[in-house]
Amino acid sequence: MKFWGVRLASILGAVAFCFLLEGVAQGQSSFVQRLFVLAGLYVTLAVSLNLINGITGQFSIGHAAFYQVGAYTAGFCASRFFAQLNLPPAAWLLLMMVTSAITAGLAGLLVGLPSLRLKGDYLAIVTLGFGEIIRIFAQNQEALGGAYGLTVAPKIQYVWAAWLLAILCIAVCRNLLRTAHGLPFLAVREDEIASSAMGVNVTQTKVVAFVLGSMFAGAAGAILAHFESFVSPPMFTMDVSFTIVTMVVLGGTGSITGSVLAAILLFYLPEKMRDFTNIPLAGVAAAFVAISAAVFAIRWVMQNFHGSAKDRAIRYLGIVVGALVIWFISKAILGNVPSLKENIDGSKLRMVVFSVTLVVLMLLRPQGMLGHHEFSWDWVRSKFGKPTVKEATA
Amino acid sequence: MTVLPDLLAGLEFSTLPQQLVNGILLGAIYALIALGYTMVYGVLKLINFAHGEVFMLGAYTALFTSWSFGFTQAGNRQDSSPGILIAMLIVSMTVCGFVGVLIERFAYRPMRSQPRIASLITAIGISLLLQYGGQLFLPSSPPPSISDKVNPFKGNIEIPLKPADSALLAQAEQLKAKVTSTKASYDEQLKSEKDSFNLSPVGKELRTASQDAERDYRNAIDKANKDALVITLPQGQVIMLVTTVVLMIILTWLVMKTTAGRAMRAASLDFDAASLMGINVNTVIAFTFFIGSALAGAGAMMNASFLGGTKIDTFFGMLPGVKAFVAAVLGGIGNIPGAVLGGILMGLAETMVIWAGYGNYKDAIAFIVLIVVLLVKPGGLLGSNKVEKV
Repeated sequence: MKFWGVRLASILGAVAFCFLLEGVAQGQSSFVQRLFVLAGLYVTLAVSLNLINGITGQFSIGHAAFYQVGAYTAGFCASRFFAQLNLPPAAWLLLMMVTSAITAGLAGLLVGLPSLRLKGDYLAIVTLGFGEIIRIFAQNQEALGGAYGLTVAPKIQYVWAAWLLAILCIAVCRNLLRTAHGLPFLAVREDEIASSAMGVNVTQTKVVAFVLGSMFAGAAGAILAHFESFVSPPMFTMDVSFTIVTMVVLGGTGSITGSVLAAILLFYLPEKMRDFTNIPLAGVAAAFVAISAAVFAIRWVMQNFHGSAKDRAIRYLGIVVGALVIWFISKAILGNVPSLKENIDGSKLRMVVFSVTLVVLMLLRPQGMLGHHEFSWDWVRSKFGKPTVKEATA
Repeated sequence: MTVLPDLLAGLEFSTLPQQLVNGILLGAIYALIALGYTMVYGVLKLINFAHGEVFMLGAYTALFTSWSFGFTQAGNRQDSSPGILIAMLIVSMTVCGFVGVLIERFAYRPMRSQPRIASLITAIGISLLLQYGGQLFLPSSPPPSISDKVNPFKGNIEIPLKPADSALLAQAEQLKAKVTSTKASYDEQLKSEKDSFNLSPVGKELRTASQDAERDYRNAIDKANKDALVITLPQGQVIMLVTTVVLMIILTWLVMKTTAGRAMRAASLDFDAASLMGINVNTVIAFTFFIGSALAGAGAMMNASFLGGTKIDTFFGMLPGVKAFVAAVLGGIGNIPGAVLGGILMGLAETMVIWAGYGNYKDAIAFIVLIVVLLVKPGGLLGSNKVEKV
């Protein structure tokens, strides 16, 4: 009974959370509403890519392709069938999410079946290539609007829909990991040969993960198409794929909580940076110098010194202070270089921040922010000094 | 089966030889870049995603070198010499070589003990960093291009494959005679009517006759020219091809005959055994990166200065990089002759797609080729299929 009670409460809580967000967003400007929706979409994309990359260990860097397939499916259907069916917008959006999920899933199957025989870097470049093929194809099809894109007729801007999808995606991934159905995914990630010797159907597992991840990306695409009421090929370039990959890697490959946190963080940070205009270029260049110095100092300390947590904290604090000093000095020096005297907008730094994050993360903490750890109420309890459920029942 | 005749109907076979030659010229550049991918993969088993960006930096280096020689918009220097081109080539190759070594030292070497996917992510990160970080510090909007005055070799080499049909030529010759005669009589008439404001009916008739004759002649000569097969090779591109071949010969000598090359081959065969045999693998890897990146630099310099008006921005290396990677996979990654073969085939594939009238899809063809290769013969054309062992 307790199981169903908790389950019901979680579902109600999730729905309540979605509509709470909707309520909060209603009073805000359309810009803030857009942030809310896109954040939800990016959470969906990151968690669904995490299912492929992190949980099943198949490194795909073309997730934007499935996002695009979903968005174009919705756009294409809306221009043809919306007027005839005469559905309420909410019902139409749900229908489109399902339709887009199915077409994106089929696209995932199409890519997955042949290419999942490949490993690691080969798979990565095939998925990247598939993303480009899809984009170029859409760019050259008159029926899909060509390079100009498609206008999607009903503009449906529900914040709750994006977040409901995100929560559904999180729930599916979490429940998969908690049940026996999810074990093959983890087994394939850890060791393909060993898991196949244990009776896991490796190819089937990979394809299922791929299709499932693609379906969520497709549904997210449907919401995007109706939210922007416009889809065009430049919305789905490699940048989008790389952004999603950065989110997954930063959060910790395999950790759903990590993906969610990283998606929100990496989505919000560049949006915030748009507020900063007139960043001196010399300061940016000095930051490169300081960050590189700090990264290699930290690596050196990690390799050569071992001590108590306090010792380490003091050393890292020293490095941070040192990096700031380097930043100030090099900023003063570089400020004299004539070509660095310009000022730039924060929006230009978006992908620079992503790429620096990727490299620094790989150098210092390749497992990502959370590694394989997940958020759990047990963890919260233990932080407050209460026994975890396991300890209490034992 | 109406698709095939339809497809074939749109093709102009008289332009095929020219397109094939263009494909080989394009393929030579891809081959130069592909060599870098394949050598690094051979030794480290790492796809150096940042290789395309090294190519981009090579183009920028060539641009800055040409500026330092005075070929800027403002400087507007007119005279160039082969010496300047050679200087640009050497500077590009050296700078790119050192950039490659730096990337290896600071981004890939710390990753060597990590799983391969970690190095792959680092490589993607470095590639994005150079693209977007370069945007901040390098001139990219509007995209600059190397002044075409740098290239002193402007002429074309024409290779006639088949002369025009003699009957057609004779016909054109006859028409030419008619053109001169009608033109002469029309001029005569003009002279006689110099004082009148309007042409007399006779004059008008003569004018139409001369115009008709002229048009007929032009049609005939066009038809005759179309019948002839001439391959036009810009001199610059021929120099490009020759330089590429020379560089490949040097590379072959370096890899097959020198101690460093032997060490490189040993490391790519078995990394651990090579280090046990007293080979300093760090030096070998740095050397591999230097050579591979220098080749990319040479390709970039030639691409940017011999193909007039090539626009350089920080994404300059992305598509050539990806296509060259596909070329390396097509030839069998880790295999040096394979990279050259793959590069040429990629160049041919791309020009064939353009020739067939699907120019919009020329960037997609690389990925289609890649997917087909990986599915049919994952080892590549010259590579060997390895069986995975536990």
